[in-house]
Amino acid sequence: MQQKNLSIMHPRPSSIVAALYTLRDLNVEVAILHGPPGCSFKHARLLEEDGIRVVTTALDENGFVFGGHDRLVDMLQKVEERFSPKRIGVVGTCVSMIIGEELHEAVMEANLDAPVIEVEVHAGYNDNTKGVLFALESALDVGIIDRQEFERQQHLLSEATNVEKKYGAASKEYLEPSRGDVKYTVAKRVIEMLKAGKKGICILNAKKETAYMFADITVALQEVAKKLGVEDNIVNFANLDTGLGLPRVRQHAEHILADMHDNVKIDEIIGGLDEYPIAGQQVRQLIESNYRDFDFAVIAGVPHAIPMEALEGMELISITNGPRQVHPLKDMGHEHVLVEIDLHPKTLGVTNIVESEFGATLRQLAREE
Amino acid sequence: MNPQKRIAIYGKGGIGKSSTASNVAAACADEGYNVMIIGCDPKSDSSITLLGGKRIPTILDLLREGMEIEKEDDVVFEGYKGVKCVEVGGPEPGIGCAGRGIIVAIQKLKKISESMKKMDLIIYDVPGDIVCGGFVAPIRKGLVNEAYVLTSGEYMPLYAANNICKGLSRINTKLSGVICNSRSVSREEEIVSKFANEIGSELVAFIPKEQIVQDCERDGYSVLEKAGDTDIAEVYRSLARNIMASDCAVDPRALTDERLRELTR
Ligand SMILES: Nc1ncnc2c1ncn2[C@@H]1O[C@H](COP(=O)(O)OP(=O)(O)O)[C@@H](O)[C@H]1O
Ligand code: SF4
Ligand SMILES: [Mg+2]
Repeated sequence: MQQKNLSIMHPRPSSIVAALYTLRDLNVEVAILHGPPGCSFKHARLLEEDGIRVVTTALDENGFVFGGHDRLVDMLQKVEERFSPKRIGVVGTCVSMIIGEELHEAVMEANLDAPVIEVEVHAGYNDNTKGVLFALESALDVGIIDRQEFERQQHLLSEATNVEKKYGAASKEYLEPSRGDVKYTVAKRVIEMLKAGKKGICILNAKKETAYMFADITVALQEVAKKLGVEDNIVNFANLDTGLGLPRVRQHAEHILADMHDNVKIDEIIGGLDEYPIAGQQVRQLIESNYRDFDFAVIAGVPHAIPMEALEGMELISITNGPRQVHPLKDMGHEHVLVEIDLHPKTLGVTNIVESEFGATLRQLAREE
Repeated sequence: MNPQKRIAIYGKGGIGKSSTASNVAAACADEGYNVMIIGCDPKSDSSITLLGGKRIPTILDLLREGMEIEKEDDVVFEGYKGVKCVEVGGPEPGIGCAGRGIIVAIQKLKKISESMKKMDLIIYDVPGDIVCGGFVAPIRKGLVNEAYVLTSGEYMPLYAANNICKGLSRINTKLSGVICNSRSVSREEEIVSKFANEIGSELVAFIPKEQIVQDCERDGYSVLEKAGDTDIAEVYRSLARNIMASDCAVDPRALTDERLRELTR
């Protein structure tokens, strides 16, 4: 037996929402939330931008008391009639799980043609990755993914959880949100280093679709270096392996590489877009063997997953999308930490690189040179 | 090897489910079967008489203290003749959600318990009334495949038994028999036997009311362990054999209230 970990005061990502995003990655067309009408509203709405419909059984006070089995059966049938989806997901919520609803019974009773991924989940897990895991387990059961992919994902999830506990939003009892450093000042510093002939590594280590915006920083840095005639001083690392991960995730990597095409050369591929928790090891080895003498690193996405030993002696410019990630990064020793506010919503439903604020600032400053 | 029996004994609160369950468990262990008893009542009193009067830490006790339960030794304890005892436990009365507690505990147990698979008989000792979804979790999660109803010949316990029959059909669980735990009322065996037949099942045991049951319980033992040579011990043994051999479960047809009253008149 082992004692459970510290209790964290700030709100954190929900396992229900994590399950919904996973269903999207599994190309589910309609996800049914079995619970109260307002549950996970904001993300349900966002997900619609990404091509997955989210509907709710809208359990009310009566549903809490008398159960929602019939409503769920109804909803499954309605969904089939109205949308004829090829793949359906059913996701539990705190309410339905507390009162002991059996998703499986309703799914059996509705007896639809399309496969249904059942996710018995609520928002009460400390690690939101539980929602991902449950969704994947169920996808494995219905044969949508194979055991090998499941085990690979399982490993990545446990690494992601470790990273969050050590260096991320689950590392402290309370983390103050912050907007980070001023982008203008940091962009100036980057240009100053480039002009001084310093050598830099640009590391894109992003989580899935967030790469659509974080990749813009790679592109912007390349443009600016080219303009200043020092493009050879920059090497590009990116977790854009197109052969790893769920089909949808591979596709993001393909889109981004296609969009970069001739403008940017990725020197080192450090893993797939779902490998952000483990790509740090690859980065460490690469730097140790080839890039020891570099002066600075620009790291976008999940900078806290790159081990600090790898980056020793370099000036670090990190870009995250989590306001609560600023203080942990500063504590680790990242000199400049920037936040791309509201990045995620802008990366849903796109197939091209999306402009980032930091990228835009760099370009503007270079133009003024 | 025979398929595993996974039974639950239902009946009105206080009618004798726990004492019947533990005595049957002991009798089956005497016959050499591998037996597990899982107490699902927040009172956690199902296994005391198999453990010499000791209480074991419940699954929910450990979860409440924030322990991560990883091995079955944390919550599965061996009692009389190797009977494996588990108590689900529950929150303090009037606080939290006991139903959810059962769901969480059962899921946990299923995940960590290796020996569950090796049992010949698993008895779920459930609380008297199925008050909410959590209390049927063992059945819903596919853990129980046969149910027994325990009643006396009095009107209220029969009324409860009849209601349980309605509930069983709702959750698609078959009834393997009716057990009469006597309260020494007149024509008792006849009444319960009639009830059993009319709902489509049969009376599988008539357990007399005997002081010795309570005396053994007070000392912390089952009748089988402390008073194995009594007549009532023989009744428990024969019930145990009956349960292990049973193979004709039915979908019970509940009676109307008028018919139930007629029966007991
Ligand atoms: N056949 C019996 N003769 C005498 N006392 C009995 C008999 N069966 C049960 N009892 C006693 O009745 C009380 C309630 O029984 P218990 O098994 O705890 O009921 P339940 O689990 O149904 O709530 C206990 O004190 C028990 O010893
Ligand atoms: S408490 Fe749980 S069920 Fe209710 S809205 Fe929040 S996440 Fe949804
Ligand atoms: Mg009891």
